[in-house]
Amino acid sequence: MKALGILNFEPYSINVRGIEDYRPISAASFLGRYRVLDFMISNFTNSGIDNLKVFIKNRPRSTVEHVHSTNYNINAKRGKIHLLHGEKTYANQIYNTDLAAFKANMSFIKEVNADLIVIAPSHFVYVQDFNEIIKEHVKSGNDVTMLYHAVNNANTSYLLCDTLAINDEGRVTGITQNTGKYKHRNLSLECYVMDRKLFMDLVDKGLKASSIYWLRDILNDLLGDLKVGTYAHKGYVACMNTLSSYLKAQLSLIDETALDSLIRKDWTIYTMTNDSCPTLYEKGAKAVCSIVGNGCDIAGSLDHTVIGRGVKIGKGSSIKNTVILPGARIGENVTIENAVVDRFANVTVDSVLIGELDSPLYIARGDKI
Amino acid sequence: MVQKKMVAMILAGGRGSRLYDLTKKIAKPAVNFGGKYRIIDFALSNCANSNISTVGILVQYESVLLNSYVARDYLWGLNMAGGGVYVLPPREKDKEGFDIYEGTANAIAQNIDFLDQTDADYVLVLSGDHIYKMDYEDMLREHIETGAAATIAVIQVPMKEASRFGIMNCDENDNIIEFEEKPANPKSDLASMGIYIFDYKLMRKYLVADTKDKNSSHDFGKDIIPDYLRDGKLLHAYRFKGYWKDVGTIDSLWEANMDLLDHKDLLDLFDNEWKIYSEDPMTAPQVIGETADINEAYITTGCRVDGKVNHSVVFTGSRVEKGAVVSDTVLMNNVVVGEGAELERCLVMNDVKIPANAHFGDKNGDKILLVTPEMAEGK
Repeated sequence: MKALGILNFEPYSINVRGIEDYRPISAASFLGRYRVLDFMISNFTNSGIDNLKVFIKNRPRSTVEHVHSTNYNINAKRGKIHLLHGEKTYANQIYNTDLAAFKANMSFIKEVNADLIVIAPSHFVYVQDFNEIIKEHVKSGNDVTMLYHAVNNANTSYLLCDTLAINDEGRVTGITQNTGKYKHRNLSLECYVMDRKLFMDLVDKGLKASSIYWLRDILNDLLGDLKVGTYAHKGYVACMNTLSSYLKAQLSLIDETALDSLIRKDWTIYTMTNDSCPTLYEKGAKAVCSIVGNGCDIAGSLDHTVIGRGVKIGKGSSIKNTVILPGARIGENVTIENAVVDRFANVTVDSVLIGELDSPLYIARGDKI
Repeated sequence: MVQKKMVAMILAGGRGSRLYDLTKKIAKPAVNFGGKYRIIDFALSNCANSNISTVGILVQYESVLLNSYVARDYLWGLNMAGGGVYVLPPREKDKEGFDIYEGTANAIAQNIDFLDQTDADYVLVLSGDHIYKMDYEDMLREHIETGAAATIAVIQVPMKEASRFGIMNCDENDNIIEFEEKPANPKSDLASMGIYIFDYKLMRKYLVADTKDKNSSHDFGKDIIPDYLRDGKLLHAYRFKGYWKDVGTIDSLWEANMDLLDHKDLLDLFDNEWKIYSEDPMTAPQVIGETADINEAYITTGCRVDGKVNHSVVFTGSRVEKGAVVSDTVLMNNVVVGEGAELERCLVMNDVKIPANAHFGDKNGDKILLVTPEMAEGK
């Protein structure tokens, strides 16, 4: 079965304070070296799906530059990664839905020779072989197969993410937003496998039902008519729906077991090459429990911190529970805790910047402190 | 602007036998260096940064890996229309049969047909095994200004070391009057860097003549340059200021790696205006664990450090386990240093697994210890 991949844009329910002012969360730096969407695009290409439509909601610069400069290991003549966006300018962002963007670009979806559509989200980080879902989808005769992960921390994480009610036969009986009331929920990983004809049909039906409907809404309406099955995901999952989750997801990967389950030898995560040199730890530098990108010059101390490419940390500075995006400059004797420092920010001498893990401090792109 | 009047020819065929096991299966220019590079990345990146678009690579010894590596011309941005990286091994030719490259000059001479096709006015001859950053465009500018038949890049070396190099004796205008290979009593401290710019038409004549000369060793330094001097051709010395190192021995290769820590002002790889390009192995970023203790180190992607790393360079995918101590050492790609192992003044080859609690190297040793897979297995 030939499949076409769709990388969907982020839903309206996410709010990554600050970061989203400059790029969609999918194009934000992740683990010092990647962008969030590298994981999902690599899932597609590692699954042998080499025809991919990447949808961008707003602020395309960062995504366009990154995706066009990355070799995701597909045959460039046979495969294609196509960047698409809605054609309309929306006076009200409420109309900027995935269904509207799919509709506007339907001709590009129609022209591809594929039987199945695999839709995946761009604000989640997880590893999934889509062939496994496709196999289950075909075997079960489902109309739609949805990927989910049974989580036990829905009361503290994944707020406003979709959760699934699943019956004993493994069929979805309801799609609701997580209100944080319960610990145990079946978190939708916003990945759908369906026939291309059904996909086109759902887009039309959804837009007819409401101008502000998303794919998940029309699917929810039709759960009684369609056979919507499930496939359980195992392994690491993170959803970038808040600034705090963006920070915590990266800090959680400092753990070796978590990192090894996400970045595996047999499942390469592709990203843009930057040609930075290795990282230099100066005399007197201290680093523990940290993930560090290349091209950094570290003279201070790092603890539970993720540092992007080309970051400079001055002497006597101490960075803890923090994510620093590429190109930021931290001067001497600076203390930063529980923060996200955006690209090219410049924190000069003696600053003390302390946030909270649940509400991290955000230093904006290019800001001088 | 990309210029097409100068073509670069990189000599990359030598074995580098003083690197012992490191070059048993791969040519010296393909040997790993500085965390994430291969030695030839420096010459290739210099070419790209000097706006050279056509680069020929003369290969011979164990070149399978080197060939496939340099063929990825896009790594250095050398994939522009009309240019590219040309892998040039010795080949069988119509009426001439098959001949291996007999010397540096002979390697170029056997590719005169290639150079003829490029329409180049100037040929830049380089070594594929030097670590340095150099603007060849500036050298070409000086070559044209002085009207020399050939220009040779020179670097000032300490007088007491001059007898190890090919020494250029120059007049007050930096024109070369005499060339001495490893002189016992050097008259000058200007050493040849093995980097030449030739006017192609004249060079072509000399190469053709040299090929016919049965007494020649077909070497640029030993034969072609002396021929030019004997015929009174203007040979100019281009003074290079900066870091330059021939990494021909285990000690010098180790030292060049350590220079990334000790002389980072001289060999600055952080300079965005003159990047050294290389392949990206697409590994995870480097992870520094809870028990890590890092003091002065150069570490790259895919590494994991849980032990102590002191004044060392750690290449792609290597791992230092808990309780291990790595001092004044170079760990090449995918090395694992087992728990409690200690390394001191070593250069550890790719993929070597150092068993737990093993000791290698000597703090006071005057030589650097090359740790091979066999040595690690023996412990």
